Amino acid sequence: MNGTAHRILTVGRNTFLEAVRQKFFNALVILSVALIASSRFFQQFDFGSGELKFIADFGLGAILLFGSILAVVATAQLFYSEIENRTALTILAKPLHRWEFMAGKFLGVFLLLLVFVALMAAILGGMLYWRENDLMSRYGDQFDGERLISYGGLFGFAVLQWLKLGVLCAVTLFISSFSNTNLYSVVVSFFVMIICQLQYIARDSWENIGNPALKTLVAGLSLLFPNFQMFNVGDVMLFPDQTGELAVATPWAIGGYGIIYIVAFIALAVFAFRNREI
Amino acid sequence: MDHPAIRIRNLVKDFRVGLRGWKLRAVDDVTLDIADNEVFGLLGPNGCGKSTTMKVVLGLLEPTAGSCEIYGVTSRSVKSRLNVGFLPEAPYFYRYLTGRELLKFYAKICSVDPAKMKERIRDVLEMVGLAEAADRRVGTYSKGMLQRIGIAQAIVHDPQLIILDEPTAGVDPIGSNAIAELIRELKAQGKTIMLCSHLLAQVEGVCDRVGIMNKGKLVLAGSVDELLKKRDLQSLTVKDFPESAQAEIKTVLEKHGASLVDAGSPRISLDELFLEHTATEEEEGK
Repeated sequence: MNGTAHRILTVGRNTFLEAVRQKFFNALVILSVALIASSRFFQQFDFGSGELKFIADFGLGAILLFGSILAVVATAQLFYSEIENRTALTILAKPLHRWEFMAGKFLGVFLLLLVFVALMAAILGGMLYWRENDLMSRYGDQFDGERLISYGGLFGFAVLQWLKLGVLCAVTLFISSFSNTNLYSVVVSFFVMIICQLQYIARDSWENIGNPALKTLVAGLSLLFPNFQMFNVGDVMLFPDQTGELAVATPWAIGGYGIIYIVAFIALAVFAFRNREI
Repeated sequence: MDHPAIRIRNLVKDFRVGLRGWKLRAVDDVTLDIADNEVFGLLGPNGCGKSTTMKVVLGLLEPTAGSCEIYGVTSRSVKSRLNVGFLPEAPYFYRYLTGRELLKFYAKICSVDPAKMKERIRDVLEMVGLAEAADRRVGTYSKGMLQRIGIAQAIVHDPQLIILDEPTAGVDPIGSNAIAELIRELKAQGKTIMLCSHLLAQVEGVCDRVGIMNKGKLVLAGSVDELLKKRDLQSLTVKDFPESAQAEIKTVLEKHGASLVDAGSPRISLDELFLEHTATEEEEGK
């Protein structure tokens, strides 16, 4: 392994360790697990797919909600603790490029999000499998001997959610790279997240703008913010028989879309942090 | 070595402050050379630009004008830091790591040979006197231990130049003395040390040369002996000096056109007194 990759991994591993040893991460995991597990008790008793759909929606919602909180808060906090506690001084006084430091910080939180999403998806998958088996044994005629849920699809969707949270992490890292307080980073990042979630409304509007110059300007501006609705393919990936199958290339395209934004925002973060006085 | 350990030429550093972006000059046209295997003390009141100068030397801040080099490599290059260790003022480290894990982390950042890393970490822990506390979490360390683990992380990759910002701030005299001994040991190993400190007596004891900064300018620099020597006075230290001998010496001196300015018992420093008594109490305890 070359020196750069080795240093990035070292910073990333340390960031990951710091994060998992914090109470915040553990509390969030416990809360998410409890929420997904409790979905069994909140469901309305509709036979067959209705119950499974409810559990899936509830679980995926929990992953998105708590994953977003984790991506924003952990990134901002782990970055700021380095600046405020001046540990960044001792690290950056070593033969380490600033971009390696930033890449390492991102990698650490990205790994944390991987653990979180994998854990949540495994619990959700387990819940769905258990309920599906139970329902199949009781109402086999509604299933025609075939499973409703695509567990491969759940895995693929979990990967896409991880990438989506990675985009949010990169956005937060970029905001943290120039902001002066942790609170500012967290608040602005959540605003950006809301813009990214609701961007499809703006897209619908600008497509109807008559003025071509204005339309181009608004279209250009919309590219600044990733469209998080692109990642909302949970229903199609988990229940392909009910909602119609997704083209094979689509998840790959969405993944590529996420990776492009991750790289772009990390590059912006590196640029902003390049001459920051610490 | 062909190049001095640190070469600073006409260094200027301005900060923009306030909404209007007022210019605050923190370092003003500083020129300084620090030779290899020298212990150099940078002194001055708070806010005089010592730490800013150190940060520019380390490449943590961009200079507004002028240049800095470490062993001939510009401070703007990451390569200049291959051979440098740094202890910041009031250091804080990852509380959840043990002392040994912390040093391993910094050793990896500095690309220390993995085959020699374990041995190097053990040696450094012994050198700073933390071998017994190596497997305790850093969060449980006292102030003095934090300073020592800070020095350990600065030297874990065996750099030639070590920069210490207030290495004894907040540390009791025993801890300060241990750090001073460590600096002497590093000097004996051939290392170059640049340090900032407010404890002038300690600086005097360990430094070969000092520089004094005030309002961003380097107002004085030179060897400690040269700067502190009272050139028109000499002293004799005499054991069991009777008053009759004193009168005779006074007469002899007057005969040679000299005069006795003062006669009395030389004082030891408060630090020495403290160390002497605390050491005795510890020995009695044993």
